[in-house]
Amino acid sequence: MDRRQFLKTSALLTGGALLPKSSIVRAQAKAHNLVLVKNGQPAEMVSKALDLLGGIQRFVATGEVVLLKPNISWDRAPEYAATTNPELVAEMVRQCRNAGAKKVIVLDNPCNDARRSYASSRIPEYAEKAGAEVKFMRENQYVETPIPNGTKLKSWLFHQDALTADKIIYLPILKHHRLSGATIGFKNVMGLIGGNRGRIHFPFAENIVDLNRRIVPVLTVVDAIRVLKRNGPGGGNLHDVEQMNTVVAGIDRVLVDAWGARIFGHDPYTYDWLKLAHAQGLGEIDTEKRPPFIFDFKA
Amino acid sequence: MKFYSRPLRLTAQSVFLGLFLLTVLQATYPFQPWLPPELFLWLDPLASFSTMIADRFFTPVLLLSLLVLLSPLVFGRAFCGWVCPLGTVIDLCDRFIAPHTVISLRRYRPIKSILLVIFILLAILGIQLAWLLDPLPILWRTIGVPGMALFFLIIDTLMSGLGAVGIFPTLFTRLQDQLAGYLFPVARPAFGGLFLPVLIFGIIIGLSKVSRRFWCRTLCPLGALLGLVAKFSPWQRTVDAERCTSCAICQRGCKMEAIEPDIMTTEKSECILCQNCAHECPTDAIWFSFQAPGRMRSPVDLSRRAFIGSGLGALAATGFLAINRPDPHRSDRLIRPPGAIPENDFNARCLRCGECVRICATSGKCLQHAIGYGGLESILTPLAQFRRGYCEMNCNLCGQICPTKAIRPLALPDKQKTKMGLALFIKDRCIPYRLNQNCMVCEEHCPVADKAIQTEKRIYHDASTGLARVVDYPFVIPELCIGCGICENKCPLSGEAGIIVVREGEERLPT
Repeated sequence: MDRRQFLKTSALLTGGALLPKSSIVRAQAKAHNLVLVKNGQPAEMVSKALDLLGGIQRFVATGEVVLLKPNISWDRAPEYAATTNPELVAEMVRQCRNAGAKKVIVLDNPCNDARRSYASSRIPEYAEKAGAEVKFMRENQYVETPIPNGTKLKSWLFHQDALTADKIIYLPILKHHRLSGATIGFKNVMGLIGGNRGRIHFPFAENIVDLNRRIVPVLTVVDAIRVLKRNGPGGGNLHDVEQMNTVVAGIDRVLVDAWGARIFGHDPYTYDWLKLAHAQGLGEIDTEKRPPFIFDFKA
Repeated sequence: MKFYSRPLRLTAQSVFLGLFLLTVLQATYPFQPWLPPELFLWLDPLASFSTMIADRFFTPVLLLSLLVLLSPLVFGRAFCGWVCPLGTVIDLCDRFIAPHTVISLRRYRPIKSILLVIFILLAILGIQLAWLLDPLPILWRTIGVPGMALFFLIIDTLMSGLGAVGIFPTLFTRLQDQLAGYLFPVARPAFGGLFLPVLIFGIIIGLSKVSRRFWCRTLCPLGALLGLVAKFSPWQRTVDAERCTSCAICQRGCKMEAIEPDIMTTEKSECILCQNCAHECPTDAIWFSFQAPGRMRSPVDLSRRAFIGSGLGALAATGFLAINRPDPHRSDRLIRPPGAIPENDFNARCLRCGECVRICATSGKCLQHAIGYGGLESILTPLAQFRRGYCEMNCNLCGQICPTKAIRPLALPDKQKTKMGLALFIKDRCIPYRLNQNCMVCEEHCPVADKAIQTEKRIYHDASTGLARVVDYPFVIPELCIGCGICENKCPLSGEAGIIVVREGEERLPT
């Protein structure tokens, strides 16, 4: 099954490159809901992905406060692929600023020491230069918040900015995570909450879906430029990192994660949390039914 | 000189206290000190020599303390009056709490010499107890650990409080974040093992309720050491007998009670050269100058009986330490910082100055002052307590900052391989083993690139539902585990974790 899935994925990915140029031009006229961009520089891939999705204006309006949530979980340099690519984050900041966002906030609740993780990820220097406000999350900034329709969690501590921002955009990095299979968009919410976060791990599927009921990103942009294939989510060995030069962006967060899983080499149906999210009506899990629009810079 | 001595001294005291606070402030991540945080401890002859004698080692940097040790040969106990930051703190507090008149403590003076002799004898016997009453480690650990925590608490509360009531909320959050880049850890520091350091400091300050500079006059063993050398000091108080009216203003005002009843003579081992007497003399009969050696007067204030008594005291202390047996359960959890030298050397060399505890609070937050873990000999030494914090994989700051190298400085790649202990699962607590549910928080956090925690998939048949499920049961690979404790720290259970780090397999570096 795995191999077949992999072959199908590869066929789809490379197939995109074989599409006639004209079809791409035609396609750009209408906005897509799920795009896969590959083989470009991080910033140009993000910018292209947003163009194909109909432009940043589709998601961010003038005067809004936008919260960008990259993965800054670990005290690792960017090349270890444990944290989101800083150039990708910076391009998103620029896009949001260009769309007229009043404020672009970048933050995460790291597992390692916050200052060390922020510094090693290099996200603050890139994002601040691009015009973002990079913040640390403080203990007194979490608010106990009810989760409507939560099946397992009725309430949890959420960071105030996650509750008050006009728009939230997820910028996860695709990487290995033994419990969930791969960490993509859904697990990104872990960086917006406080409290005893380890408790979310059991039962993981129910809890992570419940948290994502309260926090709804308008867009998820997955960094699959360098992908940590083993020993995630912290990594630490460059041999475990694979250069994939891919960015997946989309509106349906279940579908984005399903495609993330496929790129990673997993069958989305083996992820119980993704199946649960689909079953609860949060989005589409069937990648066959909903292929992304593919753009390849090398094509 | 007379008119300038007071402002000069106050300036010197402020400058040295300021430098001291700067050394404390600089002991932080990111670590870019332009004044070594260890400076004042290197300069401390009691700390330097008692550790070197007790642990039989030699480090050139500790010879810096000879500067202070020999300074009384020129300037008497000026260190106590002009430099010692604890002395300055005491002077500051005395303004508010000490009685106006100086109470005679003459008969208690020898206590400090007895303590000094005890500490020296103990050091010769291989036990370093100077940390208990050495003013510089005392002040460092008090300001560096509870002091900084309190400071952050106040600033943090003030800033978030002002923000919360709507006074420039963004400004204060921004300010907090800006300061977090250098001064502040992101989370407020809090510690265990604060009771004893705070108590010792509290008693020292509180004793001023009896009389000014009580500590310096009767208890400070460093003062006793410098006083011993000061007996040969040529720089001293001189009284012009013709101008002196014997009003005794100087004698009554001397905060060190260093002026003898005849007003003319000065006990040089007590005089801290503050020169208040010269300042206050109504007839300008007093000045400070270099005197010919012939006029030196130096009665030894320690009687033979007191000396023998201190010898017996040292023996008693040794005996007491020898018959004290630590709780074996807790000794197994006395995890040392990475790079720590062997236990006996460690205890002999550690000054309990709290530098490592302070700097760890800005990083992994695992180091605490140990109380009740090893025997009495390890009290207040740094203990890595993983329910409070964990050892950051990319941090080696405790070894960079240790003034006596009880924690060896390690390059980051070496530190990352140094085993602090070994993680063990407590299967009766661990969630997968007890509840047959997936958890894997420890595995997720394990910073070893190839994961020292692995899992084994097994099918569990749930009798209550009749369903089978696959559960990942975690286990430790001892060869890979470095005992950093992040697994124990992040375990979602409350109280005791489902995985704990014990000393088994801990690596100690040769001295």
